[in-house]
Order: sequence, then C-alpha cells, then structure tokens
Amino acid sequence: MKDIDLLQKKNRKLRDFAETMGSSGLAFTGLIGLFFLSILVWQIAAPTFIDGENGEIPPANEFITESDYELEWDYPNIDSSGELTTDPIVLEISWDDGDEVHELQINVISQRDVYEDIYLNESGLSTEIVEVGRKTKFHIYSTLPQSVEVKQKSGPVPSADETGKPLVSTFVIEYDVAVLYDEGIVFEPLEILGYGTLIFLVVTFRFPKPSMLRFIQKFTGKERQLKGLFYALALVTIIAGNYSLASILAALCWILSATMSTSLTKGIERLLHSGRELSETSRLKHSISNRDGLLMWSNMLLVISTLFIPLEIYIPFLTERYQDIFSPYSSGIRAAFYGTIWVMLIAMISAIPISVGAAIYLEEYANPTKTTKLIQALVTNLAGVPSIVFGMFGLAIFVKQGGIGWGLGPSILAAGLTMGVMAMPIIVLASQEALRSVPRSIRESAYGVGCTQWQVTKDHVLPSAMPGIMTGSILAMSRIMGEAAPLVVVGATAMIVFDPEPLAGLVGGNVNFTVIPIQIYFWTSEPDPAWHSMAAAASISLIALLVAMNSIAIVLRQHFRRRLN
Amino acid sequence: MNNEAQTEEIPDSTRDLDIEHDRKLMIEDLDLWYGDKQALYGVSLPIAKNSVTALIGPSGCGKSTLLRMMNRMNDLIPICHYDGKITMDDVEITGKDADLVEIRKKVGMVFQRPNPFPKSIYDNVGYGVKLHFKPTREELDKIVEKSLKRAAIWKEVSDRQHELGTALSGGQQQRLCIARTIAIEPDVILMDEPCSALDPIATAAIEELILELKKDFTVVIVTHSMSQAARVSDYTGFMYLGRLVEFDKTDKIFSDPDNELTKRYITGRFG
Ligand SMILES: Nc1ncnc2c1ncn2[C@@H]1O[C@H](COP(=O)(O)OP(=O)(O)O)[C@@H](O)[C@H]1O
Ligand SMILES: [Mg+2]
Repeated sequence: MKDIDLLQKKNRKLRDFAETMGSSGLAFTGLIGLFFLSILVWQIAAPTFIDGENGEIPPANEFITESDYELEWDYPNIDSSGELTTDPIVLEISWDDGDEVHELQINVISQRDVYEDIYLNESGLSTEIVEVGRKTKFHIYSTLPQSVEVKQKSGPVPSADETGKPLVSTFVIEYDVAVLYDEGIVFEPLEILGYGTLIFLVVTFRFPKPSMLRFIQKFTGKERQLKGLFYALALVTIIAGNYSLASILAALCWILSATMSTSLTKGIERLLHSGRELSETSRLKHSISNRDGLLMWSNMLLVISTLFIPLEIYIPFLTERYQDIFSPYSSGIRAAFYGTIWVMLIAMISAIPISVGAAIYLEEYANPTKTTKLIQALVTNLAGVPSIVFGMFGLAIFVKQGGIGWGLGPSILAAGLTMGVMAMPIIVLASQEALRSVPRSIRESAYGVGCTQWQVTKDHVLPSAMPGIMTGSILAMSRIMGEAAPLVVVGATAMIVFDPEPLAGLVGGNVNFTVIPIQIYFWTSEPDPAWHSMAAAASISLIALLVAMNSIAIVLRQHFRRRLN
Repeated sequence: MNNEAQTEEIPDSTRDLDIEHDRKLMIEDLDLWYGDKQALYGVSLPIAKNSVTALIGPSGCGKSTLLRMMNRMNDLIPICHYDGKITMDDVEITGKDADLVEIRKKVGMVFQRPNPFPKSIYDNVGYGVKLHFKPTREELDKIVEKSLKRAAIWKEVSDRQHELGTALSGGQQQRLCIARTIAIEPDVILMDEPCSALDPIATAAIEELILELKKDFTVVIVTHSMSQAARVSDYTGFMYLGRLVEFDKTDKIFSDPDNELTKRYITGRFG
C-alpha cells in the first residue's frame, strides 16, 4: 500500500513536471518564432511599406505615362546572312527640361517576336541599342513629367500599320496624367451605416439581449416598409459610392439586413405567440428560421468586406504602385496582385463546377465498368503530375493558335484555364472522398421518402459533402496560387506596368500579365539586394492572400458542418 | 452443410395464409439473393390492412431483407436480385417498370437508427411533402403541424421547429422520422426495429404511437423483442434462415404455435 502511494506520488510529480516543461517550452518556442517573424516583417516592411529608401515614394498615378508604338519594317537593313546593309535606324529622343539629346539605335533582326522595352527618366534611356524583331511591338515607357520628342534620324522609315501609326518619322510621347487609381473616398457614411446595421443584426442574431430585441420589436408589422427602406438605401449607397467595390459590398449589407430584420421580427413574434417572454433569449434562436443560411451569408459578407478593406484603405505596395525598374523601393505589385486575383477567379470558375460534376458522376452515377475505372485511374494519376507539365498542356491547348490550340495567347484567360485544369484532379479526388463519406443512412432516408436519384444527390448528398468539397477546392486553389512554373511556360511576363485585362485573350487587347509568384521569382534573380527585400514583401502579400482565402473556407466549412452537427 | 441439414427440417408452414382483414400487400413465393448467397427462400406472406404485422426471428434470418422488399429498398443494393411477386391492392409492385418513387411514397419506411435529415425539424417533415405535392407555405405549415401532432412530438418541438432535427434526443428523432413518413400520407409504414436504439421510455412512447397509427395506416414492424411483438401486433410471422416458418394471429403464435421451432424461439430455448 505504502509503495503504491510512493509510486503514485513520484508519478504525479513527474507528470506535473512534464506538463509545466512542455507547455512553457511550447510557449517559449512560440514566442521565439513570433519574435523572428516580427523582425522579419519589420526588416521588410520598414523600408518597403513605411519609409522607402529615400523616405519618399511617389504613387503610381503621378508618373506613369505609357505609349505603345508598333513599328514595322520589312527586312530594311539586313540581308539573309544577318549583316547590316543600310544605315541603322536611329531615333533622337529629347525633352524640354534637359539640354541633352539621347540617341537610340534600333537594329531590326530577322528573328521573330523579339522585343525590348525602353524606359525614359531623368538620367536618360535605359539602353542605347535595341534589337527588335522585324514585326513586333515596341514599347517606350516614360517616367518623365513632360512631353518627349522622338525624331528619326537615319534608316528606313517604318511602314504603317492599319491604324496609321506611325508612318511619320517624328512622333511625340505625350505627358498624359492617366489616373489609374483614383477612388479617393474610402468609406461613404452610408456605407458605414450599412455595415453597422448588418453587424448590429448579426450580433442580435447571435447574442440576443432583451433591450436589442425590444428595439427590433418596434418594427413588428412594419416589415414591408423597413424592407423597402433598406432596399432603397442599398440603391442610394451604390449610386452615391459610384459603383465602387465598397459601395457594392455595403449595398449587399443593406439587402441582407432587410431579410434579416424581417426574419428577426417574425422570430420575436413567434416567440411571444408561443407564450414566452422576450427575456428568454435562448429560446429566440429556435423560433428564427435560418433556412437560407442567412447568418452564414451575413458572416461571409462581413468577412469579405473586412478582407477588402485593405484594398480601400490604400496599401500602395499592393494596390497602388507598379514596378519601377529604376527604384526598387518605390515599386509595387499592383499588376501582379490583380493578375493573381484574375487567374484565381478564372481557374475557380472553370474548375470547380466541372470537377464537382465529374466527382458526382463517378461516385453516384457511373457503374464500375472498365471505362470508369480507367478514368478514375487517370484522374488519380493526374493529381500527381508535375505542374510544369500542365504548363505545357496549357501552352499547347490554350495559348497556341491552330491545330488543337484555342489561340488565346499568353493571356490571363489562358493562364486561368491552365491553372483550372491543374486544380481539377485535386478537386475531383477531394469531392469524391467527401461524397463517399456521406453516411448511407442519409441516402436511405431520402430514398425512403420517395426521392429520385437526382433529388437525393442534390438535396441530401451534396449538402452533406459540401464541407469536404469546399476544403478540397480551397486547398487546390491555394496550391495553384503559389505556382509559378506552369505560368512561366504559358507566358507570364516579369515587367508589367499596367492593369491586366482578363479577357484580352478573347476580345483582343494587351494580353500581357504577371502573377505574384512570377514577380517574386524575377525579383529574386535581380542582382540588386533591394529587389530581394521587395520579393520578400511580395511573399508576405502572397501569404496574406492565402490566409484570407483559407479563412473564407473556414467560415463556409463551419457553417455547413454545423448543419450536419 | 450444417445449415442445409437444419433447413431440411423446417416444415413449410405457410400453407394457410388466411387473414380476417382485407389484404393490403401480398408477397408470393419470393426468393432473394445477395450475389450468390440466397437470403430468402420462397417466402409468401399477406399483410393485413389497418393492422400491425410483426416479423420476428433470430438476427440474420432475413427480416430486414423481406421488409426492404416491400418498398423496393433492396434495389439500391447492386448485388441484390430476386424472383417472386409482391402486389399492393392487387397491383404488382415488383415489375421492372414499377414506379419506385410512387411505391416509396405509398410505402413509407422508418429505420433502425433514427436518421433525420440534417435540416430543421420543419424541413425534415416538410421535405417529402414539398417534393410530391408542391403545397403553398400555409398548407405546408398545416401539414407539418398535423404530422408532428400525429407522431406525438408536437408538444416537445412546437416552438423550435427551425432547430436542427439531428439535435433532438434519440426517441424524439425516431418520432420525427415517423412524422416525416406519415406527412406524405403513405398507405403502409414499414418499421425496421424502430426501438432497438432507444431507451425503455422512448420505446413505450413509440409502441403507443404504433397502436395509434394502425387506425390510419397498415404497419409492418420488424422487432427482435418478442414482448414488443406481442404487445403491438395483430399478426406475427416467425422467420428462420431465410424462410417464413410460421405466420398467424399474434395470440395464436404466442400461446399455441403449430411449429416446434417457433415454440422454442418464443420460449427462449433456442440455438
Ligand atoms: N447488403 C447486403 N449484402 C450482402 N448480404 C446481405 C446484405 N444485407 C443482408 N445480407 C445478408 O442477408 C441475410 C439476411 O439479413 P437481414 O435481412 O439483415 O437479417 P435480419 O434483419 O433478420 O437480421 C444475412 O445473412 C445477411 O448477411
Ligand atoms: Mg435487421
């Protein structure tokens, strides 16, 4: 007996020791990690987000001027062996301010699709000799605040393109205050009111207090008018906010508030009707019909609004500044950020419905024949294929013209579709897994009340599998968000100083785009260490985007899972 | 082989299948296989209208299989195939071209483990009604209320119809499932050991409910509890190794069974 007591005592001591050591050790390592993380963030954030190297960072909209000239020569100054036969084309570039004259020599070479970009700033031209393909776009970007004059001094005159530009040998790069981002007002008062109303209603929904309920009860019987008022406010908000993102989100807040207030007043009425008091708030939620996932949509909207607030409140690095080849610290990732968002959106829209459909077919409908087994095996193997291979696939199918190619060019559309194809096997497998784990009893009870197979699938199996499908989809999306390799193949470019056009591949326009991982990749390969810190800043942005996406996933998943308890 | 020997001894006692009530369902000479394994051997059985028919027997003898034939639930199992004929009101329901949705609407089912949909109580009951009858909101409200009342659960859930059905207690869930079944006004209700997952009080509530339900519906219940069969049923069939050994009025089966096997089973001297 005594021995046992001793042993127990010893044991308890050991256990307590392990307990304290374990938890304090965990806390300590956690703190160290946080410390390093904050140092890292500080190191990166201080120069990029806060000071800039010289303490001043001009925002993009103050200096970007861009012109696009398509020069076309027909082998003017080379022979078949590549030797220069005529005078080289020389442009004389000058501007008011300086007395210097810069000369730019352009050599037209026989290779196709070679092009250079020229940048102008106070210190001159970024290069003095350029080699371009004989039929290619030729960009001149100016960061100067005044007009630039360009004269051709020697060499053959380029032929005109069909727009007639430029046949003349003298052209002028105009100083153009192209305001690229001018949503000056951050939040209109109406928008704030919309968000406030929705937050109030959500809080009342979640944590009802008698005083709040008494306030809402006043509107019983006036639901119609209240609804009308909210809808009107939604309209006014959107118009007053000039259709900005914030105003659209706020209008959605008003619309949800309208539905939510009706549902609350009805719930209160029902509560009182069944002989209860307003103070029995715990009963309230039983009497509120939440069938349309009202609360979930409200939460979603609030989360999304919160996520988009950074867009509205001006993080120049993310949403204001383009890349500036001359001063890393005043560069930003605006082009890459929007590129990433567009690529993800297109990938999502193209991949998720198809993949979930395929999973439903394979899991619910297909008989296990040889063909379906083969398809299944293919899908399983596709999920493990290296991403660069998908890049080649995208290049062949989406980018190239002719044959099986769709001819979308190296555009966002092609990139999004490529990424979508890459995500597909992952989503299919995850969805299949989710569908398979729906308990038999749910199917049986649904068939038991006389459902057809489609009704069982759409009303019961799919909702139950939703959390799994969502998780799979978001994981796939997160994975492709960080991928650079396939997009290098598809043709993302490193140096973009304009907003990408998502549909350019289809309707024409400038197809060039870039995404954050590509930006990071190119910046890390620059020799100047300043670019490396920019690359780190871009990485942090990428991580922040991923966290944002995953939090949306968590909200959705929690909602659906709560319904399945 | 042992089984073969035993089954040889079982006499065919389904010769006399007369019942006093009208026939609702008639099962004739049903053989059923799961793959190559035969689960039912030539079962014939009448189901009396507006009465409770109980199926008893040791586990694995094919009670659930027989029950699941009556609303063609076995069609969901790909390896299951059968031979024989089942008629409802003299209309065959086993044919290839029988409308399964229509059959399952007429023949509702309550399962062994309560399996409400992961939806609100209201939607659990309303779902099937919406599916088949497309009622207006007011009509649906009325039907839901009536069904919950008939399933004797209205008092407990009247003010929380929008709460999840899966959040109820086991006994309440089972009554909710019954409400869901009767909401679409079937003719027949099949119950597969509806009380086996419930405590004695919930069981008593369900049994009381069954006696109430037989006024409007024809009930077939599978149970492993002989006392339950004796309490609620009008007719009882005893099954053994895929055969219907004896079928008669419940009083007769429990007081003076014809068959030696039945006698041994109901007196608990079995195996
Ligand atoms: N889905 C199935 N697949 C294969 N065999 C089955 C299946 N369901 C039941 N069986 C077999 O059929 C026989 C009868 O089962 P069941 O009807 O569930 O018996 P009971 O309900 O009387 O316990 C058992 O031997 C069982 O193993
Ligand atoms: Mg069974």
